[in-house]
Amino acid sequence: MDFLKQLYDWVDVRFGVREVVDEKRSGHLLPPNINAWYSLGSVLLVIFCLQIVTGLLLMLYYVPDIDKAFGSVAFIMEEIPLGRLIRLFHAVGSSMMLLVILLHMFSVLFMGSYKAPRELHWLTGFFLLLLAMGISLTGYLLPWNQLSFWATTVATDCVSSIPFVGSDLVELLRGGKQVGFHTLGRFYTLHVGLLPASIVVMIGTHLFLIRRTGVSTPPFGLEDTTNQWQGDKFVCKDHPDGIPFFPNFVLQDLISISLYLACLMMFVFFFPNLFIPSTSYMPANPLVTPSHIKPEWYFLANYQTLKLFPSEIVGLTVQAIAMTFLALLPFIDRGTEKHPLKRPTFTLTAIGCILLWIGLTIWGLYS
Amino acid sequence: MKQLLFAFLLVLSLLSAPPATAAVRPVDVCVTCHGALSARLGMPAKLWKASIHAEHGVSCNACHGGDPMDGANSMSPARGFRGVPIATEIPTICGGCHMGIAKYNAASPHGKALGRGGPTCVTCHGSHGVVKATIDQINRKNCTPCHGFESAWEIRNAMLKTDGMLKAIEDRIIELKNQGILTDTLEKRLFALRNQSHSLFHTLNIDLIRQESAHLQAELEKNNGIGNTGTGLSIGALAVGWALLAALLFYLIKKNID
Repeated sequence: MDFLKQLYDWVDVRFGVREVVDEKRSGHLLPPNINAWYSLGSVLLVIFCLQIVTGLLLMLYYVPDIDKAFGSVAFIMEEIPLGRLIRLFHAVGSSMMLLVILLHMFSVLFMGSYKAPRELHWLTGFFLLLLAMGISLTGYLLPWNQLSFWATTVATDCVSSIPFVGSDLVELLRGGKQVGFHTLGRFYTLHVGLLPASIVVMIGTHLFLIRRTGVSTPPFGLEDTTNQWQGDKFVCKDHPDGIPFFPNFVLQDLISISLYLACLMMFVFFFPNLFIPSTSYMPANPLVTPSHIKPEWYFLANYQTLKLFPSEIVGLTVQAIAMTFLALLPFIDRGTEKHPLKRPTFTLTAIGCILLWIGLTIWGLYS
Repeated sequence: MKQLLFAFLLVLSLLSAPPATAAVRPVDVCVTCHGALSARLGMPAKLWKASIHAEHGVSCNACHGGDPMDGANSMSPARGFRGVPIATEIPTICGGCHMGIAKYNAASPHGKALGRGGPTCVTCHGSHGVVKATIDQINRKNCTPCHGFESAWEIRNAMLKTDGMLKAIEDRIIELKNQGILTDTLEKRLFALRNQSHSLFHTLNIDLIRQESAHLQAELEKNNGIGNTGTGLSIGALAVGWALLAALLFYLIKKNID
């Protein structure tokens, strides 16, 4: 024990670690009524780190070449010790990441945590959702299997309906008229370089903003559930009667992370084909079009919306309007009430929109 | 400013679409022209399209000669076009690819009766709509036009168990493939064993078939239970259990601190 104390002192006199720990224990207090939903941010950080680690391990053997990509993924799964597990953790993890981002967004939405002065928290979170969808889409093509090839063909084809620049944009995305060698190169570069870097920057901005404004107070268990921010000067929200971040909320984070890992491992070990269907194990063949091409589950609602409208451009416009509305929600909803039951119009509309999204996803799956 | 412009142009040139390099599928004029014809001249193309030969890219010229890539000279004798092969040529033509079977067939009573009313490959397998050979092709309809069915029935029964084992392993390989397990080596081995088994029939030698089938069955027995994932599932259950236990432990510590 003496040795540990000496080591702690050695580090402390050099880097002031004791000050950081004390600050986390007494200086960084969280709302006393904080709930488990607030730990989803930490879960997402862990997921992102896991994706980086598994992605780096996969990069050791993956070959981004249309003749070798499929074989290299098969080689990873079959020949590399724990390769199958690493690949499944990465592939299933990407779907789980989107699922947790959506849950995080829903909780923020219903607890009114996006309200001023936290508009930019919401906006950076929204960009993180878009980046996560982008990194999942680009990663989906990399194994170069029949499903990923044709799903990417369909997904990139949607862009062609944008007036004037559509066909040029598709060529820019694909690097040619068809999905091929150049598309794989572009998607690989985006997937392992540009998008992860953008996500790191966006997470940094998101955390910086949270640190500057302080954690929002949940609207539950309080009499006054309105937004207290006056908007006249900068105030870092403090909670003098709150609970310390360490160890109290760190333990809540650990509970949520452990539960997430249990869910992830349950899917990886027992239901891997839920996220990776058997058609994903067939190499891409540009000359044979499968009878049913479906995108990944998180794009099914978009896919079904496109099918509902007589022209793709109308479908794309509707989606663009919906996404813009979602991104700008904190600037549109200026009400001060945060409790979901005290703003029934908003809550019912939000529930309706979520149910519509779920309905379109299920419809897209079975259509 | 110049450097900025240069950097911008460099990025644009990197992102601009290179010339299309997609492979163009060659056009097979035999299938194109005959496919458009009706009745007798069109039927072979239609049957071929659903055949195992089409699946493996074996086109009309493999049996009929000629050049399917040159419309004007596709049926020119100068390009090796031979038209409809005569019966005595058929085993040699088929044997060009199916060499093992051709050897067994030539030495068998079927092969020895070639040109004297004996059967050729197409008698049992058909000509254009050739499908993957199965044991069901040894049937009364195919055999009895020339002789009784008793000896053929005996051969069929001798091959039945091997065939069942081959089918079971084939199904298992499909199952493993659907789980993303590499089956290339297994498939090649199965292909070779299946060929050995099916080639054997063409000897029409019941003793040899019985003896070789026993060897094949012993070989196939080794592949029983391939790709069992029982251990993986146990590890999975353990991992999920540990994660849940950790969650419970953290919950208890938190409750104690709160």
